[in-house]
Amino acid sequence: MLLNLNRLGWWKLVLFGITVLTTAFLLLPILFIAALSFGSSQWLIFPPPSWTLRWYQELFADPRWLASAWTSFQIAIIVTVLSVLLGLATSFGLTRGRFAFREGLKALFLTPMILPVVVLAVALYAFFLKIGLNGTLTGFVISHLVLALPFSILSIGNALEGFDKSIEDAAVLCGASPLEAKVRVTLPAISHGIFSAAIFSFLTSWDEVVVAIFMSSPTLQTLPVKVWATLRQDLTPVVAAASTLLILLTVLLMVLVAVVRKGLKS
Amino acid sequence: MSKPFLQIRGIRKEYGPVTAVQDVNLDVAQGEFLTFLGPSGSGKSTTLYILAGFEDPTGGDILLNGESLLSTPSHKRNIGMVFQRYTLFPHLSVGENIAFPLKVRRLPKAEIDAKVRQMLKLVRLEGFEDRKPAQMSGGQQQRVALARALAYDPPVLLMDEPLSALDKKLREEIQHEIRRIHQQTEVTILYVTHDQEEALRLSDRIAVFSKGVIDQIGTGPELYANPATRFVAEFIGDSDFLPCNVVSAGNGRAEIAICETMTVADIPLHGTASSGSKAALMLRPERLLLSKRQSESGLPVTVSDITFLGNNVHVATKTSKGNNLSVRLPFGHEAISGLNRGDAVWLKFDAESAHVFGQ
Repeated sequence: MLLNLNRLGWWKLVLFGITVLTTAFLLLPILFIAALSFGSSQWLIFPPPSWTLRWYQELFADPRWLASAWTSFQIAIIVTVLSVLLGLATSFGLTRGRFAFREGLKALFLTPMILPVVVLAVALYAFFLKIGLNGTLTGFVISHLVLALPFSILSIGNALEGFDKSIEDAAVLCGASPLEAKVRVTLPAISHGIFSAAIFSFLTSWDEVVVAIFMSSPTLQTLPVKVWATLRQDLTPVVAAASTLLILLTVLLMVLVAVVRKGLKS
Repeated sequence: MSKPFLQIRGIRKEYGPVTAVQDVNLDVAQGEFLTFLGPSGSGKSTTLYILAGFEDPTGGDILLNGESLLSTPSHKRNIGMVFQRYTLFPHLSVGENIAFPLKVRRLPKAEIDAKVRQMLKLVRLEGFEDRKPAQMSGGQQQRVALARALAYDPPVLLMDEPLSALDKKLREEIQHEIRRIHQQTEVTILYVTHDQEEALRLSDRIAVFSKGVIDQIGTGPELYANPATRFVAEFIGDSDFLPCNVVSAGNGRAEIAICETMTVADIPLHGTASSGSKAALMLRPERLLLSKRQSESGLPVTVSDITFLGNNVHVATKTSKGNNLSVRLPFGHEAISGLNRGDAVWLKFDAESAHVFGQ
């Protein structure tokens, strides 16, 4: 190895210190929110004077919170399914197809990743205003799909690039129709890519707030929009409780990714 | 040869302006082991892929048992194939891989199990059915691929350089396996390789491909003893070429003059040549006789290098015109003892062992 840790001497301590500081910088806000959600102070005082589950009770008692969580979940699930299906079709086209402007098209599909989200949100809002999709589930799904699809295309596309087409050809010569060969051989072989695509698509939609603010209506809003709106009206620790649950789900999904990845590799 | 089993009729394949296969004609007998031998880009793999149905020819036809294959899609051709790269299905075990073509055909489970066992026995991998492909060596994976391709008793087995990813020792071991399996199953095999030794070791007949056409089809000894073109002569066995002048030509024979000092008559002639035209004389290192004694009928050369190669000794020589000629002699041959670099020696050859290639 180029960098031998044992030979670093006191530099090792410096590196250790930097690592601790970076980790703290990344983790502290999250831990802070989690702590506040269990704190008894109504004014989000830190450190909390005492501990309580009251805010969680309020959260689960309020039908508006539950409704927005349900909305978020519905949108995220539909976006995940569509994103994986479209991502699969697009990746097959981009990887296997032989046509002009293939590289250009590939780059075009990834633009939502680099385009400022606000720009995208305004554009979608203006367009949906014309066709009456603002404030509808369909509107939410389409706009989140635009954001999620690049992740699907990237992870499925990468998995497909790494998959030798000869293996699919072998399945075809074994007697499987081209479709059957894809379903029975290619899809299982690139399942890690499909799985990542699903998780990232879900999280893209589940965590998304900017586009969602534009899309939401008083009767239809996602959980992040509800958190944001509540924060603006009154500063209640219920927001901290909701945020903590959001983070918890994200962490659980990431752990699931890691576990499944490991399982697929062995 | 009995009535042709597989007929390839005037197959052509063009990719835009590039012609990959020009005009391939071939009859294959049932149970034959036929190798497509040629350098990369000679059209041998393309021809195989047309047989598999992965490429559509731009012209020509392929008949199996007298019926055209071309309108049948790949998955209904019932042809077996082993690929150059490892193509086992990574998420399935060895047993499931071999069972795959049988499951696709919806055979009863008991029949599938029996066939999988039989195939594992054929490729000598009993007890490996629960392994995943990633847990097996390259040679084992190719044997499983062979078992999978033979599981549904295909009339024809295609093999596209299946051993090129393996090292030399393993390659020879699996060549023996392939020969044994061919003899045991009597399946018709079309085998693609660029390795002449592999082709000679395995095949009943060899079709030598060059630039999209078959230069010559024949058994290994036929190709070696009587190459139809200069390309075949270069590709099968070792050979050196000397420029020569044709003195007279006719009836497939030529009399030639080399290095202005020597004329040889009655050499087999390939291609066209007439009195006074230029041609190339092919000589094989192992068919040349070397003598330290000056002789009128010998070609004078000087020794430029002597290499010991185990049971053979390789003597590199140069003619007065500066052309290189190699001579291979068995170790301990009396002509070599005391031979040194720079010595003048005389080479003789039998007219039947030489060939003249005209324009």
